[in-house]
Amino acid sequence: MSDIARRDPNTVMRLARLGSIHQSRLSFMRVLTRRLAREGWTFEQTAFEVDDNGEGHAVYTAHGPDRAYSLIAYAHDLPAEKRSDRVIAEAWDATFTLFDGVPTADDIERLSHNIPVQEAGRVSGTELSVSRANRSVRLWEHVVSELAAGRQPSAEQIDAVGYLMRTTAVYGSGKLGAADREMIADRPEFRAPFQVEMLSVFLTRWFVRDLVQHMADRRAANAGEDAAKLSDELARSMGIGNSTGLGMAPFLLNHPVLFNNWVAARENAIQTVRSLQAAGAEEVALFLSLIERSKITIAGWHSEHKIQLEKLDGLRADVEKVSDYLAKNDLSGPRPWDGLYIWAETALSLEGQEWIASLILEPYGDLVDGFADDMAADNTATFRIAGAMTIGELRALLRDIYAWAIDTDWVAPENKARAWYVSEEKLEPRLGERFEEPIEEYEQPLAPGRDAARLFAALEHWPDEAQVAEFVLRHPEHRHVLRRAQIVGRAPYAEIRDNTISDQVLPIDMLRCKLAFFGATQFDPRSDRWVRICMYGNAPFPTELTTENADFWVFPDRDGSDMKGVGA
Amino acid sequence: MSHSLNEIEAMSKRAARGAGLSWGLAEEAAKGTRWLSSFGFSGPELLADLLELNDRLPPVDFSPVSLRADVWHAPARRMSPLLAGAALSDCAVRLLERGTITMENVSLPMLAVPFMGGAALRLGVPVAVEWEGVRLATDGKQLSVQGDATALRSAQADRVVFIAPAEMAGRREPVMRADVSDESWERLGVFAHRTYAPATEESRLRGAGAGLSDND
Repeated sequence: MSDIARRDPNTVMRLARLGSIHQSRLSFMRVLTRRLAREGWTFEQTAFEVDDNGEGHAVYTAHGPDRAYSLIAYAHDLPAEKRSDRVIAEAWDATFTLFDGVPTADDIERLSHNIPVQEAGRVSGTELSVSRANRSVRLWEHVVSELAAGRQPSAEQIDAVGYLMRTTAVYGSGKLGAADREMIADRPEFRAPFQVEMLSVFLTRWFVRDLVQHMADRRAANAGEDAAKLSDELARSMGIGNSTGLGMAPFLLNHPVLFNNWVAARENAIQTVRSLQAAGAEEVALFLSLIERSKITIAGWHSEHKIQLEKLDGLRADVEKVSDYLAKNDLSGPRPWDGLYIWAETALSLEGQEWIASLILEPYGDLVDGFADDMAADNTATFRIAGAMTIGELRALLRDIYAWAIDTDWVAPENKARAWYVSEEKLEPRLGERFEEPIEEYEQPLAPGRDAARLFAALEHWPDEAQVAEFVLRHPEHRHVLRRAQIVGRAPYAEIRDNTISDQVLPIDMLRCKLAFFGATQFDPRSDRWVRICMYGNAPFPTELTTENADFWVFPDRDGSDMKGVGA
Repeated sequence: MSHSLNEIEAMSKRAARGAGLSWGLAEEAAKGTRWLSSFGFSGPELLADLLELNDRLPPVDFSPVSLRADVWHAPARRMSPLLAGAALSDCAVRLLERGTITMENVSLPMLAVPFMGGAALRLGVPVAVEWEGVRLATDGKQLSVQGDATALRSAQADRVVFIAPAEMAGRREPVMRADVSDESWERLGVFAHRTYAPATEESRLRGAGAGLSDND
């Protein structure tokens, strides 16, 4: 019996909550590593031609049951003054493409003229992604110099940064001429979202380890010495950083059906686990061990940003409250997960609630992992407007989805203080001050609440029985938000039910949400519109991947055996 | 040059918006241009022709006066295939009830064809269109073309008739890449550029929220 409802979209889809989501079993990195391990993928480095200055290329190939994919990496010697994580940067420490198959020498040569210049280059349908990364300058130099001096780098310094390189953009799906997602979406390995990008980053982490070792080896050799080999434990503790700016925020608004499917999959999983009548001893033991392992991640989560520091204080207090709860409640009663969740809803901060909501899924892979199959989206069917819908029906739909917006005073400047626009500089997405900058005429349609309220007002004098086809013929300016409303009518988690243009909006909430679905941890906002994260920290390297370590690597283990599988 | 269909869609959306169409219609224009490109037609060139023809003119002048009229016509005696096509898609159910919808003086009628694909998917039956001796039919996924292919590039058709349900004669499969001439791409680029805010130092610093050093 399942009388536990899915969480209400009006609760889930608020920005503060979306900005507090944690990774889960359904996160795209974990979906990928589970598949690679389950299907027995093999991995090889087939080229590594990098000189003493760190310039050259390398190729890493992943062989699956039916197809192979290769990361082609180009390494560069970048002067410090050119190092920027912004979209408007023009040079990077390393650049990459994920190639469909095994590249020939001609492919590597062709791409060597295009990948290093990123947006200024052109790729083809055999390239699945284009990306770039910059070094963490302080950690890179520390690791190279320590290894070159024959010593292991400091674990403390490594923990303080978490990665040697951070990607600053990973482009997929047709960008710069690459293959469209539609070209590869029917391949089982790419059925879940963002698997191309996640595979690219997984292989990038391997390349970065090889590159830092190579640079240390060469530095030592030039001094007539032998460098130390970076220990497996230290190497594994490092992930790949990612520096994400505003470009990801519009993504969630521009792909409503896809976003719905991500959130709905997680909500279905939460509902499924909350509905369980009882928890087995093994499941409880695994859950408790992952609570402990999560505490390590939470304790080592660094940020200098005021907003995140406050959230971290709350989360750390929540961790204590959860420990107290679990000391008094051994999860042996009826519906133990629902009991825990209901308690969390009232006792914990949003960070803590979403941490628990994700964590209760962990013991139930058999029940919830299948929801990942529903996370992709084909927009074709939902794109068309149902013109026969009556105005009365549309009005009811708007009242249901956009009640908060209809009740907002859109004349008040603070409620529409910002505007999203695209700059002519490399088409960088930006957020500006509507009343201070000349940007309004360039505004992107990224304020669905305001637009829905306008539509609602425009319908006021139309009779209930008229059809929306008649209305929108006269008012094409409402066509965009009318389509959205109809989409959300079918896909309730498709819409952010919050103000995306107020003077209070925090774009990092949207970035955090998307990155949590990727599987990122340790969100570190650099401003209200820029966040750094870590991907694949503690993960096995590709050649170490097994079915035992493919799933729970995201939870570090205090005794150092991060590779451990289930429970004990 | 070979382009991905997503590139064509993104460029078309910006260009249509730059030519003054609402965002919702720009989205329709983009999906349609992509659809035509996937069947090997020069979608970007057709769209560029239309955007230049109706650049920043009021859409109401080129929209059907009434969806109930026996023959749809536009007040300016020149129907936009995007506005008419979007209305046709919105009225898919009505098309099936009536059997045919006829339109007069449609500019670049080929640009209205993708909307037929949307209508066919909604109705679950193929939809056909005829003008100047050419007949196209689609079930939304595949396309058949019969008759005088020169009409596909027609700048304006006096009479365009949409028919549902229809029969498909032959089946053309869509492809995943498209060749777009540099000239068409640049013509669309001129319109798209109007949607980009000029770079200013203030926006560079504030708008993307950087300012911290990345050399750390």
